Amino acid sequence: MRNQVREQRTIRGLSQAQVAAALGVSRQTVISIEGGRYLPSLPLAFRIARFFDMTVDKMFDPEDGEADPC
Amino acid sequence: MLKFIAPRLRRPALIAVLGTAYAAAWAVHGGHGRVWAITAEIATVAWAVTMYVWGGRDNEQGALAGSRPDERQRQVAQRSWALTGKAAMLAAFAGLAVSIAVRSADWLPFAVMLAVAGFAYLMGLSTFGVGEEDPAYDDSDGLSGPAPVSHWR
Repeated sequence: MRNQVREQRTIRGLSQAQVAAALGVSRQTVISIEGGRYLPSLPLAFRIARFFDMTVDKMFDPEDGEADPC
Repeated sequence: MLKFIAPRLRRPALIAVLGTAYAAAWAVHGGHGRVWAITAEIATVAWAVTMYVWGGRDNEQGALAGSRPDERQRQVAQRSWALTGKAAMLAAFAGLAVSIAVRSADWLPFAVMLAVAGFAYLMGLSTFGVGEEDPAYDDSDGLSGPAPVSHWR
């Protein structure tokens, strides 16, 4: 599953640590999400989308790649 | 269970308590057990201090050692514990099978470990939702209609 986290973070000039602090997760988790190695839970997906002022379906694209929730 | 202790101290405290109990068991054992007790207590203190130091680091191990994992790290820890449980259960089963095969009198601890592991598995199924309401159950009481469409944006 592709996501827009890295693109949106870069556009806003934020560091991974800043995004992590805002979302209440670790920097390592932000790195994993950006790399597509971890699919966040639904609550975290909503927090990410709201943080970047986007909708969840815009932020995460289920059509691209596998959708293994783990 | 340990909510009243600061997160970073929880794991070191648990290690200290369990390690001290282990050392106390050797002390009660008597004889050369006291040497083992002192060794175990020194190792326990060293391990607890190490975990406290790790707990302050900004990495995966630090988050787990400091009892402040996020959802992904918690998932990693849960998977590791699941693997630990499977390995322990397999070891107990192997021990039971071998002790029975060689007619050893020590089969009972393996059987107890296997029984406890099996019970814990069933308790986990019950606690985490398998025993909940049948998902096939339709609470619409025979009413049917179009599936709800979300217009949320």
